[in-house]
Amino acid sequence: MSIAMATAVVTQPAVEQFEAAAKAAVATVEIIERSPAALRDAILRKAGDADRILFAPPQDLPAELFADFARDPRVRAEPTAEELVNSPAGVTEAFAAVARTGSVCVDVGYQRTGMASLLAPLHIAVVAAETIVPQPRDLFREDVLGGKGLVRNFVFITGPSATADMGPLVRGVHGPHRLHIIVLR
Amino acid sequence: MAAPVNPVDIQPRQVANKSKKKALIDALRMTLDVQSPAVRRNTQTFNRNRYTAVARIADYDAMKDRARRTKENAIANLPALLQQLEASVLANGGHFFLAKTAADANNYIRDVLVRHEVKLVVKGKSITSEETRLNHALEAVGITVAESDLAEFILQVADEQPSHIIAPALHYSRERITALFKRKFQTDLPLDTGEELTRFAREILRQQFIGADAGISGANLIAADSGTLMLVESEGNIRMTTTLPPVHIAIAGIEKVVPSRSDFRSFIELLPASATGQPLTSYVSILRPPLPAPPFAAPGKTVKPREFHMVLIDNGRSTMREDPVLHEALYCIRCSACLNVCANFETVGGHAFGGETYSGGIGGAWEAGTGKLMNARFSELCTGCSRCIPQCPIRIDIPWLNQNLRQRMNQADGASVQKSLFGSLTGSAPQDRVAPLQKQFFANYHKFGKWGTDFASLANSSSHAPGVRKLMEDVLGVDHRRELPAFPAKTWEQLFREEPAASKAAAIEPGIVMLADTFTNYGTPERGMASVRALRAIGVDVVLTPSIPDGRAAMSQGMIDTARQQARAMAAMLRPYLDSGRKIVVVEPSVLAMLRFDNKHLLDDEATVAELAANSVEPLQALWDIATEAHIDLAELFPASKSRFGTRLFYHAHCQQRTCNAASQTIDLLRAVGFDVVTSSVECCGMAGSFGYKHDYYELSMAVGADLFEQVRAAEDDTGPRVLVASGISCHEQLMAGMGRTVLHPAEVLVSTLKM
Repeated sequence: MSIAMATAVVTQPAVEQFEAAAKAAVATVEIIERSPAALRDAILRKAGDADRILFAPPQDLPAELFADFARDPRVRAEPTAEELVNSPAGVTEAFAAVARTGSVCVDVGYQRTGMASLLAPLHIAVVAAETIVPQPRDLFREDVLGGKGLVRNFVFITGPSATADMGPLVRGVHGPHRLHIIVLR
Repeated sequence: MAAPVNPVDIQPRQVANKSKKKALIDALRMTLDVQSPAVRRNTQTFNRNRYTAVARIADYDAMKDRARRTKENAIANLPALLQQLEASVLANGGHFFLAKTAADANNYIRDVLVRHEVKLVVKGKSITSEETRLNHALEAVGITVAESDLAEFILQVADEQPSHIIAPALHYSRERITALFKRKFQTDLPLDTGEELTRFAREILRQQFIGADAGISGANLIAADSGTLMLVESEGNIRMTTTLPPVHIAIAGIEKVVPSRSDFRSFIELLPASATGQPLTSYVSILRPPLPAPPFAAPGKTVKPREFHMVLIDNGRSTMREDPVLHEALYCIRCSACLNVCANFETVGGHAFGGETYSGGIGGAWEAGTGKLMNARFSELCTGCSRCIPQCPIRIDIPWLNQNLRQRMNQADGASVQKSLFGSLTGSAPQDRVAPLQKQFFANYHKFGKWGTDFASLANSSSHAPGVRKLMEDVLGVDHRRELPAFPAKTWEQLFREEPAASKAAAIEPGIVMLADTFTNYGTPERGMASVRALRAIGVDVVLTPSIPDGRAAMSQGMIDTARQQARAMAAMLRPYLDSGRKIVVVEPSVLAMLRFDNKHLLDDEATVAELAANSVEPLQALWDIATEAHIDLAELFPASKSRFGTRLFYHAHCQQRTCNAASQTIDLLRAVGFDVVTSSVECCGMAGSFGYKHDYYELSMAVGADLFEQVRAAEDDTGPRVLVASGISCHEQLMAGMGRTVLHPAEVLVSTLKM
C-alpha cells in the first residue's frame, strides 16, 4: 500500500495531534462538518465584525464548499490593490497540514492565495482532514498528496508571525497576527 | 600612556575585524560591559529550547546522519550541481549569476537594480549579503536599502555588524532598542514594550514593502534539480520580500546547493529545531522562482511580469572546498546551535566571539575562508570544551577546525629564537616551536609539572616569591589573580607505589588500568588515589600507567604536531594493557575525551582509534559497570550516611565528560548510594583547561563561571549548604576560585564512606 493511500485514511489521533500542535503554536483551531453552511458559519464567526474579507478561491477543495461564504457581501474574491493591503481578514485553503507541528501548507503561487494568507492581520486557513500528514518532511515525497509538495510554490505556516528581535516574544509582525485553522472532517 | 577607552564608548564596528589582538581585547571589554545580559538571556533560551525540540524528533540521530551525507555529497559534487542549478533556473525563466568575489556579486546586483531604475529595495535577512557588504554597494549608487527583518532593521539603524548568525541583533535588550530608536527617530511615540517597538518598525516597513521596486532575499537551501529555494523565517518579511516586488534577487553562498527538492526532507525539521528550538518557525517557504506576476504594482507603477535573479557567491568557498580541514565548514547550515551551547559565546556574543560577518565556534573558519586567516583570531575564544560537537546537526567537529586555525595562525605569527629555544627545552614538536611562549607553556604543562613536583617546596614557594607572578603574567600571560595549583609533594605515581593493594586478593579479573594523566598526576593526585581506592574497594585489580602526556594540552593550543606525537606515544603505551583485556579508566574527563573522540584526528590507525574509544571509561562508570556485572551492592559498600562530608552534594559535570555521555552515570551512582545531589545545568565552568589562566581571558572566564557560582548559591539558599563536587580538574579550580571552598572528586566522596 502506498503512503498516499495510507494517509488518505485519516485517523482521529492525527486530527487530535494536529489540533494540539497548532494550538501550541498559538493558532486557533475549529473542526467542523464538511458543508457549505457549516464552513460559512465558521468563517464568519471568526471574522467577527471585519468589514472586508479577502477570499482566495480554492484549487483543491471544491468551490461549492465556499459558495455560501462567497455570497457574503463583505467577501472580496477579486480585491483591488487597496483592498488587498488593507483588509482585516483573509481566507485561503491549505492543501496540506502537518500533525506533529500544527502547520498548514498554503500554495503561494496560485492566484491571490499568497497575498490573502499574508497581508491581513487575521488569516483563516481551511484544510481537509485527509490531507494531514504526520511530519513536515512528508511534503517532499512523491507518494504523498500526489507529490504536490515537490512541484508547488508553497509555505508551511505554523502559528502567527512572530519575533523575538525586540526583546520579549511578540506575535504579529509583518505577517498575520492571528491564524485560525478550520479543519473539515 | 593614553587613558583606556571606556567600554561603553567602543563601537562594535571598530572592533569587528579582530586580526589585531587589541580589537579582540577591546571587544571583550565592550561586550562584557554592555551586551552580556541580553546575549546570555537570548542564547540560553535558544539553547534550552533546542534540547527540548530535538528530543521530540523521533529519529534525530538518523536524520543528522542523512543530513550530513547529503551535505558531504553535495559539496563533493558541487561543480556539477552548480551547472545543473543554472540550467534549472534558466528553464524556470530566471537569471543565474555565479560571482567569483563579493565585488562581482555586488556589481551584478547593482546593475540589475540600476537597469530597472530601482529606487527602493527591501531585503530579507541575508548574512551572505553582510559578507559582501551589499548595502554599501547599493547605497553608493543612490539606492535606498530597507532591511525588513527586525533584527537587521535594528542593526541598520545602529550601524552595527551582526552578533549572531540567525538572530543578528540578539545583543540588544528591549531597553537598549528603545533608547536607540528614541535617539535615531526623534519620536514621541511610546516605544517601551516589545509590541510598541514592533508596531513602530512594522508601520515603517509595511510602506516600504508596498513601495519597493525589488526584493532581495537569501536562501537556506537551494535545490539544483528544480531551482527551488527553502527560506526559513518567523516574521513574514521574507514572504513579502519574495512575493510582493516585481524583481526578486536571491543571494546565497554556493554551499547552499543540494541535489534536489526532496533533499529538503532531511533539513526542514532539523534546522528550526537546532536553531530556535521550534518544531517549525512560523514560515518555511518553498519557492521555485520566478513566481507569477504580483497582483498589484507600487503606487505610480504598472504591474510587470516577475523577474528573478539567483546570485551565488564563491568568495573563497572553492578554496575552502579544497582545504583538507576547513571544507567541513561548508557543511554548516547556519542553525547557530554551536553558538547557543557555547559558554563563552553565551557570555559575550558575536561582537567579541565573532568577526565582521560570522560569529561563534563555526565563525572562525568562515571568516578565514571568506577573508584573511588572521580575521579568525577571535576563534581563540573556542576553548575546545566540545559541547557544540553533539549539538551540530551536521556533526561538524568545530573545535578541531579552530585548533587547525590556531596552528595556522601560530605559523603565520612567525618564528623567533626565543620561541624556538623555549620549544626545544619544553618538548614542542619542531613545527610547533613557532607558537607563542604562552601556548608552548600550557601545551607542555607536563614538563613543568614534572619539574614542579620534583622540587615541590621550592616551586611552590617561588611562585609566591615577589615578582614571580608579574613575570609569569608579562612573559607567559598567566593572570596574576589566578591561584596557581600547588605542586603536590608526591605525584600520583609515587602515592600509588606507596599504597599496597588491599590484603584480600583481587577477585575481579582482568582488572583495570588507570591512566595516570598528567593533570591528575602532577596536579591533584588525591583525586586519582581516591578513584584507585574506590575501585579496589569492590575487589578490582588496579594498575597505574606511567604518566605521559596525551595530547590534549598541545591540541588545545593549536600545536597539532606536538599533540600527534604525544597521542602516538600514548597509544603505544596503552597497547599492552588493551591486549591484556583491561579497561582504561581515565580520571580527567578532557583526557577521556581524547581517547573517546579526539584521537581520530591524531592517529592514523583507525582500528586503534576505535579500540581506545571503546575501552576507555570514566572511574564511576567503571565502578558502576563492574559492580553491576559482579552483583555488588554499591549502596552497602559506600553508604552515604557514613560519609564524613555529609550526604548533601552539589555536582558539576565537566563539559567533555558530558559530551562523552559519562556524566549521568556519576549522578546516578551517587544517588544510588544515598547522596542528595543537586546538579548544575551550565554547559561549561569557564575555566576550560588553560583558558581561564590566560590574562587576556580572565574576566571572561570568571563571567562564564558566574552562572555556575549562582547555581551553587541558589541551591544552597533553597536547602542549605552542600559539598561541592566536580569531576574535572578545571572545574575544580574554577569552583574553588569562585566559591572559596574545597571541591571534591566524586570518588573522594565515595571513599569517604569507607572505614579506613
